[in-house]
This record gives sequence, C-alpha cells and structure tokens, in this order.
Amino acid sequence: MPPKRKAPAAAAAAPQEDVSMADASSPAGEPEPEYDMMTDEQRIRILPGASDTAASFEFKKEDHTLGNALRYIIMKNPDVEFCGYSIPHPSEDLMNIRIQTYEGTTAVEALEKGFSDLMDLCDVVGEKFQAERARFADEMKA
Amino acid sequence: MAPYQPSQAELDRRKIVGINAETVTDVTSTDYPGHYTGEDHSWDKNQFEDNFQVKMYKNEPLESSFSLIGIDAAVSNAFRRIMIAEIPSVAIEKVFVQNNTSIIQDEVLAHRLGLIPLKGGKEGLLEFLKWYEKPADGEPGFSVDNNTILLELKVECTRNETAAKGETDPLKAYHNAHVYAKDIVFKPFGSQERYFRDENTIRPTNPDILIAKLRPGQEINLEMHAIKGVGSDHAKYSPVATASYRLMPTITILKPILGKDAEKFARCFPRGVIGLETVTKKDAAKKGSGYEGHEGEVKAVVKDPMKDTVSRECLRHEEFEGKVKLGRIRDHFIFLVESVGQWDGDELFIESVKILRHKCETLKRSLTNMVR
Amino acid sequence: MSREAYQVPIAVPTPGRDSFQTGISVEGPAINYLCGDCNAKVPLKRGDPIRCKECGHRVLYKERTKRMVQFEAR
Repeated sequence: MPPKRKAPAAAAAAPQEDVSMADASSPAGEPEPEYDMMTDEQRIRILPGASDTAASFEFKKEDHTLGNALRYIIMKNPDVEFCGYSIPHPSEDLMNIRIQTYEGTTAVEALEKGFSDLMDLCDVVGEKFQAERARFADEMKA
Repeated sequence: MAPYQPSQAELDRRKIVGINAETVTDVTSTDYPGHYTGEDHSWDKNQFEDNFQVKMYKNEPLESSFSLIGIDAAVSNAFRRIMIAEIPSVAIEKVFVQNNTSIIQDEVLAHRLGLIPLKGGKEGLLEFLKWYEKPADGEPGFSVDNNTILLELKVECTRNETAAKGETDPLKAYHNAHVYAKDIVFKPFGSQERYFRDENTIRPTNPDILIAKLRPGQEINLEMHAIKGVGSDHAKYSPVATASYRLMPTITILKPILGKDAEKFARCFPRGVIGLETVTKKDAAKKGSGYEGHEGEVKAVVKDPMKDTVSRECLRHEEFEGKVKLGRIRDHFIFLVESVGQWDGDELFIESVKILRHKCETLKRSLTNMVR
Repeated sequence: MSREAYQVPIAVPTPGRDSFQTGISVEGPAINYLCGDCNAKVPLKRGDPIRCKECGHRVLYKERTKRMVQFEAR
C-alpha cells in the first residue's frame, strides 16, 4: 500500500488536540453496550420465494461461526424438517440459512427458537465453565 | 408413546469416531430428532445441563487448557472461532515516521511494529478504551484518549567510546545497535494516566522482540497509534496465539498384547499412554479373557489416552492387527488457549461465550424488527 | 491523436534539463546528496558534475525527506 502523506492538521497532532474534548466530556461515564460496533442495523432479510413453513434467511456480517452453531441448534428442533446454511460467496460478507418446518410452526418461529436455545446453551456453558474454574482454583490452592 | 431411550452403552458407542490406518468412520453427529426412529433428540436445556461437563487442566494467564464434554462440534467450533477472530484487542494501527535511516524500509518497519503484542491495565483496555471509528476516505480520524493509545519509538545508534579497540560485537561497539520492543515508550494523554499507571502501563508483552538493527549514525524516530480491533480485520488484533481443540482419543485393546509385543506396543504411543502390567492370577483365571495361562507375563494396558497424538503407528504393525481399535470421542473437546497477553486464557473463553450469546440476542431483536 | 505522433519541439529551452544540457549553469541552492561509497555529504548545485568530493565516487543518493510520513501498520 502506498504511504499516505499526512495533511499537516491530521492525525499526528490529533490526540493532543483532542485531549481537551475528551476531558471535557467524561468518556468513562456513560454506560455503553459492550459490542456496539454494529449499531441497530437490520442484518437479517428473508430471501424471495419464501412461504410460511419454508424460508431462506440472509444474514449480513455473519459466517460459519454463527451459521453452523445456529444450524445445529435449529436441527435439534423436532418441528424442523430441514435446516442448512451456506456462504454463497467467500468475498461477500453474507451467510444464508434455509429452514423448512413441518405444519404447525413457521420458519421464522424456528429461527427465533434457535436463537433462544443457543442463548440458553451459552448460559449453561458459561456457568459450568466458571464453576469449574473456581473449583480448579481451589484445588490449586490446596 | 414415550420416546425410546437407548442404553448408555449404545449412546457411548455412537459417540466414537472410528480411526483406521487410512480412513475415518462415523464422523458426523447423529443426535438429531428423526435420525433414529422412535428416539427423541430434541434440544432440552436441562438435559444438556445434566450432560455437559467442563474439566480444567491448566489455567495460567498465558495458557489455559480445558475440556468441554457433551457439546457439539458446531458450537465448540464457534467458541474457537470467536476467540481467534472476534474478541477485541489493542494493536498498533498507524505509524508516523519522522525519521528512519535504518536499512529496514518504513513500510516493513510499520508492519513489524503492528504485529508486536501489547499489554496493559485490564480495566483501561477493556472498559475505558472504546472502538476507534475508521474515518471515511480522505477524512481526518477522530482520535481521543479513550480510543487511541499513543506510543513512541526514538532510537539513535552511536559509537561506544569506552569499547575495546577492535571490538567486533556490534552490541558492545555501539550504543543501540539493536532496537527492541522494550524501547517503545507509552505516551499517556488525557485521562489515560488514571488507567495505565505504573504496572498498568501499556507495553509490549514480549520486551525482547528485535525490531531493527542499527549502525552508528542511523536513527529511528517515530510515533505510533494503537487502537482496538478484531482478528477478523487483521491477525495482529487476535488476542490468542493459538486457540485450538482436539477430540479425546480412545484406545481399545480388543485382544491381549503380551510380553515383547506389549513393550513394542507401548513404544507405538507417546510416553505414558500405554502402561505395562503383569498378568495377575485373577486375570489368568478369567475364562475367555485371553490371559489364560499367561500369569506373570507383561501385558499392555491403556493408561492415559489423552496424551495420545493418534499417530496410528500401532496400526502399521501386523502383530497388533485385530487387537486394537483407535477412535476419538466426538463430543469431548480438549481446548488449548494461548493468550498473547491482553486477556487471560480463561477470560478469553468466557468472553467467547458472551459474544456468541450477544450475537444471538442482537440478531433475535433484528428478526423481531423485520417480522413486525 | 496517437501518443507517438511527432510533436514540434518548443523553441524556448525549459529551465531544468535543457539548460543543464546546453551547459548554461543557472545558480541555485545547493542540494545535499549522500555519497554511495563513503556516505559523505555532497552539496551539489545545478550543473555540478555528479561526483563525490571526498572519494570521487559517481553514485550519489538523495537524502531522506524531512517530512513526516504516515504508514498503516498492516
């Protein structure tokens, strides 16, 4: 990458310049959501051709990390006939999930349940891990 | 009709991934509703809670090792991926070179500096420091004390007048012949002094990283801005050196391996995996065990399969054919997390769980918004 | 018009290369160069022979810019 000639007023002097501003408004004061990188942006879309019981969802800025975990937990739902995920193109930051359900529920509901179940799973994993860590710390002390 | 409940032995058998000399078997998980007729495999939080286990083996700041037992690969892989690519950490992003007369080019030097792992006060790094918003092309950035760390590297190489005549070691003949990571100086501004004082100061995790070599008359004089980022943007932001898992190996001795064969068998594995014991009277008395008439001989027993690397060496020897079966447990993940310093190993895992949960939360909200 | 087409040379010698070739030495500020052999500072004016005054070496390097240069550490 070619080096960028710095405009005289730009970055190098910036921190010193901005100190006063930062000091004026106490930055550590206001509570902020932890991962606010992606602010309330609509990241899910239903792809055309969906019916109530069969739909493909397009996720922006998601990959195998969530795709496969979500696929697993949705497949664990007995009302789901089929669930699969794909990343249509490696250079696009998109992930698709296909859900087909049996009659009596909808694809959207299955996805919602998937999120809830995955959150429950995370809670269990987190709690058990912390408990084991505490137990291990005691064992090390003893 | 109540769902059919398979026996524990059957469930354990289903969990094994077979490993043969050239092939693997039963790789994918089958615990889904509808896979086995009459069985219920639907998600149940309580059942998961009962089955899921964590075992900690090592928990040090820079390295922690633990097992997750009773979880699917899809989820444990998500945790692993999050530790590598989605947990934020601070690294040098911009380098402002005032002077660099060393033989290492500016852009190469800048790249090297970016890869140096930094550490500092946890509270400051995790709570005080926020994301630096990348400006649009051509716009000046907005750097303030709670999104930018200012660092400086100012080194000049000179001759050491007190060195012996004809000294050939550059480190003795010159001052500052080597530039190390420890020469990087943190320049706090604004309210940073509150969070990064004394032992909390921002500094390289490894002070002895060699950045450049200089000769008399050469100098490096530059300023650096470090910001928060994630590994998916650039590997320098990854908080882990490695975060990996392997499946727990299993070794099943099907028929007795005795005497010299037992010793050879033990040598097929890393030390400590296979133990050698003598065949007891009780063993020899047991009909159909294969130990009959071998009392007092040496036999091979499985001591610690976790230490196995699954090299499959034992499958290459004729004498062990049909006597041993190798495998791995599909839902037993042995994690190894090596931190580069900003986080502790165990914190990294807890954070990965938090991030996955947070992902679900925001996306669930997003879904509700979309449907509404 | 294609780039290769003949272009009538401009009659007035442009200051710079042309004046150097014709040997008319225009006084200007001396620029410092560094000798490629002995690393001595060699101040050169326009029209000076390109040669180190200390060792006679004919390869000279420009000095590094005094300006600050910004790089991305990537």
